[in-house]
Amino acid sequence: MRVLVVEDYPPIRKAVAKGLREAGFAVDATGDGEEGLWYATSNDYDVVVLDLMLPGVDGLTILNRLRAEGRAAHVLILTAKDAVSDRVKGLDLGADDYLVKPFALEELLARVRALARRAYCVKNPCIEIGDLRIETDAQRVWRGSEEVRLTAREYALLEYLAMRRGEVVSRTDIWEHVYEFNSEADSNVVDVYIGYLRKKIERPHKPRLIRTLRGRGYSLGASG
Amino acid sequence: MTLSIRARLLLWIAGAMTILFMVFAVVVYKALSRSLLDGFDEVLLASARTISRSVERDSTRVKFEMDEHEAPEFYRSLEPDCFQLWLENGENLAGSPLVKTRGLERFAGLPDAPVFRPVRLPDGREGRAVGLLFTPKADEEAKDVIPVQKVTLVVARGTASLDATIGLIRWLLAITTGSTLVLALLLGAIAVRRGLRPLDALAARIAAVRQDDLSARVPAAQMPAEMVPVVAKLNDLLRRLEEAFRRERAFTADAAHELRTPLAGLRCTLEVASSHPRTGDDYREAITECLDVVRHMQGVVETLLALSRFESGQTTLRPEAADVRELIETGWRPLAAKAALRGITFDTHGLTYLTCMVDREVSEMIVAALLSNAAEYTNDRGHIEIAGRNTGEAVELTIANTGCSLSEADAQHVFDRFWRGDPSRTGTGIHCGLGLALVERAARTLGGSVSARIADETFTVCLALPAAQPKRHLMPRS
Repeated sequence: MRVLVVEDYPPIRKAVAKGLREAGFAVDATGDGEEGLWYATSNDYDVVVLDLMLPGVDGLTILNRLRAEGRAAHVLILTAKDAVSDRVKGLDLGADDYLVKPFALEELLARVRALARRAYCVKNPCIEIGDLRIETDAQRVWRGSEEVRLTAREYALLEYLAMRRGEVVSRTDIWEHVYEFNSEADSNVVDVYIGYLRKKIERPHKPRLIRTLRGRGYSLGASG
Repeated sequence: MTLSIRARLLLWIAGAMTILFMVFAVVVYKALSRSLLDGFDEVLLASARTISRSVERDSTRVKFEMDEHEAPEFYRSLEPDCFQLWLENGENLAGSPLVKTRGLERFAGLPDAPVFRPVRLPDGREGRAVGLLFTPKADEEAKDVIPVQKVTLVVARGTASLDATIGLIRWLLAITTGSTLVLALLLGAIAVRRGLRPLDALAARIAAVRQDDLSARVPAAQMPAEMVPVVAKLNDLLRRLEEAFRRERAFTADAAHELRTPLAGLRCTLEVASSHPRTGDDYREAITECLDVVRHMQGVVETLLALSRFESGQTTLRPEAADVRELIETGWRPLAAKAALRGITFDTHGLTYLTCMVDREVSEMIVAALLSNAAEYTNDRGHIEIAGRNTGEAVELTIANTGCSLSEADAQHVFDRFWRGDPSRTGTGIHCGLGLALVERAARTLGGSVSARIADETFTVCLALPAAQPKRHLMPRS
């Protein structure tokens, strides 16, 4: 899942970005409104965490432009303004959720996860594919009764595929939703990580979960 | 509580009307009764003249001869008039039937000048009489007989009908006056009530103004001309009140934002740091970050407290003579090294023998804040220039720094609380738009003032502080 954080106060920006990264999200972060607008309109984010009072272009303008361009990214507004009118204005302009500062990081993560699930029409935080079970809230993966230990990146990749279970997911999609903007790796790294993931979740004598569709991408599903 | 306008107007109207109606009634009464009395006296005198013409004298004596039919009023049986004639020696000459039992009182003025007076008639009735002293006409024989004897005549008549008429007039006047007065007061009360209706409307409108919504205004167009200035002043007051409340609300919101944001930063950083086991370096980094945030918050809180103290006038001042050069040097010392690194040049002139009468702590804070602001916003290799002069009443200090990116119009906002010329500076820590606001309130507390202007990318603050001594002591007139 790829998240954009637009927040001008560095301690919050750094901490939120770090927290989200550790929770398995690919995070781009900026403190400038103008830059935030550019990021938001040039990439396909699952969730945008947006501060309202920004230098350059303010949060509501970014939200407006996002919606005007038809971007589907779910927007979580993050602000110190707690007046009802501010909240209503933000939600009316197309924000999906609202969090008033100061907030608990746990709550922010939970809300971002919920918005990310909503982006793929998944409501249950626990995704089950055959005997593979992914608990998105705790970020734990089980194959049958055995817990599978995944790195943050592997987990992010699996979660993204699971969110789009049954669909053919292209390398570009994976690249765009699992890797950050400043990521140094190239798209070959997707294949490498698919390999890592297969090693960890596939079991001998059990049906394959990740299928490769040559030239099209990958698909996660319990197929024969 | 003083008397209401309505009661006051009613009292005045009632008092004035009562006096006016009374005076009117008395004048009418006096005029009518005088005219009735004059008519009565005229008739009385006519009777007297008739009787006097019936008195004749011959060479030996004065005689009275009158036919009853000539003056029937003296001979009727019911309430007759009466007369009596006396000779000069007081001897009774003649009289009407009524005076036969008891005579009239004899009185008269000068010859042929009738005198009127109220009397009591012989039968006890109230009456009015005329006394006339006249010379009876003489027959042919007595024409030259001397001495001529004068005769006194008193004619009296009952005044019962006159008194009744006057009494009736008195009653009529009293009733008309009284009822007209009551009616006039009623109309007056209605007029006052109607006249004061705009005041009631105004009171209702003011009562409808709520503390949380001061946008209501009283429409002056519907008000009478006398109330338009009051309404205008009231609307102006409401406007200023609304503006003040709006500013207060904005201030509270800004203050909340200014505190919530670092608090959120603190919480996030701590929560992230404690969410997983980390290396010592990671923890150290988080702690350093938190310390920076705490310093920032402390700065905001202290500035807010100082602002609130200055604004509520709770600051205790100990004015003393302070050397301006010393103030500048103290303020610049902590900034000098960093400014030198950035190649900023610092220049002062006109500070010699410049002394102001201020509280040292507050004035040091002002100067330090202004210099820190200047150092912060001056461009690299820029210039800060400080000039001082004594205008007599005040010491004027101008602090100018180059590299200002604000527009000329921004100069009027720099002292507003939480106003930021460059919003991207929010994240830098200590600058949250309170420094110059604090300087402005503090300067005012010291009895001085501060203003700013922006021209040619130079930001100039002019600080005026009370001078230690009047000009005449420093520069005696030559």
